[in-house]
Amino acid sequence: MRLPPNVSKSDFSAALGAFASIVGDQWVFTTDEDLELYRDSYSILWGEADERTASAAVAPDSADQVVELVKVANRYRIPIYPISTGKNLGYGGAAPALAGSVVFDLKRMNRVVEIDERHGYVVVEPGVSYFDLYNYIQERGLKLWIDCPSPGWGSVLGNALDGGVGVTLAPYRNHFEAQCGIEVVLPNGRLMRTGMGALPGAQTWQQFKPGFGPRIDGLFKQSNYGVVTKMGFWLMPPPENHTTGVVTVPKFRDIIPLVDIIGRLEQSKIVQGLWTLSSPTAGTPGDAAHGNGGPPPMDAKVLAVLNDPDGVDMDKLEAAAHSAGLPFWACEFNLYGPKKLIEAQWDCLRDAMAEISGARFKLNAIRRLPLPPQELKARFDTGPLGIPSLRTFSLGPMISYEGEDIVGHIFFSPVIPRTGEAAIEAMNVFAGIARKYKLPCPPLQFPSSIFERAFLFAVGLPVTRSPVVNAKVREIIRELVAIATARGWGEYRTAPAFYELIMGVYSFNDHALRDFLETIKDAVDPNGIMSAGRYGIRSRQARKGTG
Amino acid sequence: MITRRMAVSAGMAVAVTAGTSRIGAWGATSERRRTPGSIDVLLCDETIEMPLQIAALIDASRQTLPVVGIQLDAVEHAALKRVLLESHSIVGISSGATLFCLERISWDHGFRLTGRIQRCANEVNDAACMQGLAAFLSGANPPVATPSQLTRAYRPSRADGTLHAWAMRKSVSRQLREEV
Repeated sequence: MRLPPNVSKSDFSAALGAFASIVGDQWVFTTDEDLELYRDSYSILWGEADERTASAAVAPDSADQVVELVKVANRYRIPIYPISTGKNLGYGGAAPALAGSVVFDLKRMNRVVEIDERHGYVVVEPGVSYFDLYNYIQERGLKLWIDCPSPGWGSVLGNALDGGVGVTLAPYRNHFEAQCGIEVVLPNGRLMRTGMGALPGAQTWQQFKPGFGPRIDGLFKQSNYGVVTKMGFWLMPPPENHTTGVVTVPKFRDIIPLVDIIGRLEQSKIVQGLWTLSSPTAGTPGDAAHGNGGPPPMDAKVLAVLNDPDGVDMDKLEAAAHSAGLPFWACEFNLYGPKKLIEAQWDCLRDAMAEISGARFKLNAIRRLPLPPQELKARFDTGPLGIPSLRTFSLGPMISYEGEDIVGHIFFSPVIPRTGEAAIEAMNVFAGIARKYKLPCPPLQFPSSIFERAFLFAVGLPVTRSPVVNAKVREIIRELVAIATARGWGEYRTAPAFYELIMGVYSFNDHALRDFLETIKDAVDPNGIMSAGRYGIRSRQARKGTG
Repeated sequence: MITRRMAVSAGMAVAVTAGTSRIGAWGATSERRRTPGSIDVLLCDETIEMPLQIAALIDASRQTLPVVGIQLDAVEHAALKRVLLESHSIVGISSGATLFCLERISWDHGFRLTGRIQRCANEVNDAACMQGLAAFLSGANPPVATPSQLTRAYRPSRADGTLHAWAMRKSVSRQLREEV
């Protein structure tokens, strides 16, 4: 039997017995076979002494059971680690941040508590996945749409708490920003509701985010201050139509005015759908996401520049692209709503971008939603249509690294300024690292516009089952973090192996933020039992090296 | 007495040589009585283009076994959940990426991977290879001591040109998803 740190065998046995008396014997898991499922499939520490694995798992069915379980955990000082569905791959799976923790697996709490078509919201428990919520809405014929991440098999609540993002309209893409109202079991076992939910019998819990007094919902995002047992989310009415429009610009440095113009259109809420930056020159046309086929055959001169072992010379690439008749950049915009709104948005886009010499525009056919099933089947990803899928669940060209099979990936995800200049700098910096370590990445990678006012530059690094190769990848990530930090780019999210590293770089005024978060931690969780280690917020015991 | 396993095996062997086809559906056949150790359903990956020989094998197996396509998206999820809830023993053929996803979805229904073989797509021209696949999918897959070894022993890729034939069996210890 694996024990939690600083817990005796007799206390652990007693705690497991008490857990079982609350949830039932069948919902306490201690066998190796069961605990194997709580390993992080993409762990960069797989099979090493430092791999964080669970000592047991408990699966409650209700918030009331969570309350009682937390009280037991406090009594025996058992570190607990709540997960919703545990499918947060690339940023950590179901495994705890502190080895030996007891995983609270909340999948059985999978009720859609309330859904309101009139006001456009839903209240869910942690085990409700995007698949579940989508099907719940479809089965009842409700006129509601969800924003889902891609892949979309995870928990609605869990994704929001981890800072996850989706792919439809800007007000709904940032899932934590789309939440309205949290119910949480605090580390002392007390049940609390935020916002208007603090008012008994509240009629507007999911309609008014601020509530009364400080808005503390954010304390439960990427933190370890409680077990969130319910969460409200604003949903959108289904758009009448959808289409995409592609804008291409010919020159490499056209990215600078391109991003500026789009930024102004987004700030004025004319562009609201996700747009995707790509490069026909590098083999990825703007509307590549809609076909299952690979990129078209590439021009030999362009290919030669892209495969230059010393790196891609953008001047040479631009010249090769010009002679091949290829534009350098393509932007694909998702457009939603009434036909006349889509056409008006497109007109505004064209007018604004016409100042870039050589810009070309193509608006695809405006399609009434929902699309026919056969058409959906043929699409690479249905996320932009509000339909969760696992179609993007593929490692693409990542097959092997350093002679080892690639079994997963780990994300390095810095947030960079929403400018063409920053995009160019980030492309150069990260392409340089990819070349230096011969990473299995395409020669050019592009920033994502998934956030509203900044770019995300997510780089997937290979995970293998070789400790030697994984150690090398960990060092690469540390180097990337140092490079990014030196430029003022911080990560928005990371895997558990790097929680403390990343929290450590948010160090303004001698780690004032971390100190504040740990002061709260000490106050609300004096025994340091709740989600120990999560997001690098350490308990007093952890800071002293005793927990 | 002819068992389903024998029938499946025969069906697949026919497929290898004759490439016959007949449409079957999970709903039409799922009510049949199970026999201990029998296979309840064959899942086939619809997210990749199957080599012709494999497609023929799948078609032929419809004569004796429910065959369900796997899309792994929300629209198809209810059907997959029903299969996982109502089955005890499943076999399938898929890419590594689809297997990786399906394995994790099926964990919550109590399934464990109990056997897996992999072949490069271009190997299926070889008759011995096809017979090996057919035999595996018909139940000739010896269970392994620790299912966990299987979970980490393949590339979860859709792009590496590898086909995986696999078997999963439901254990009673852990079924977190019980409802339809």
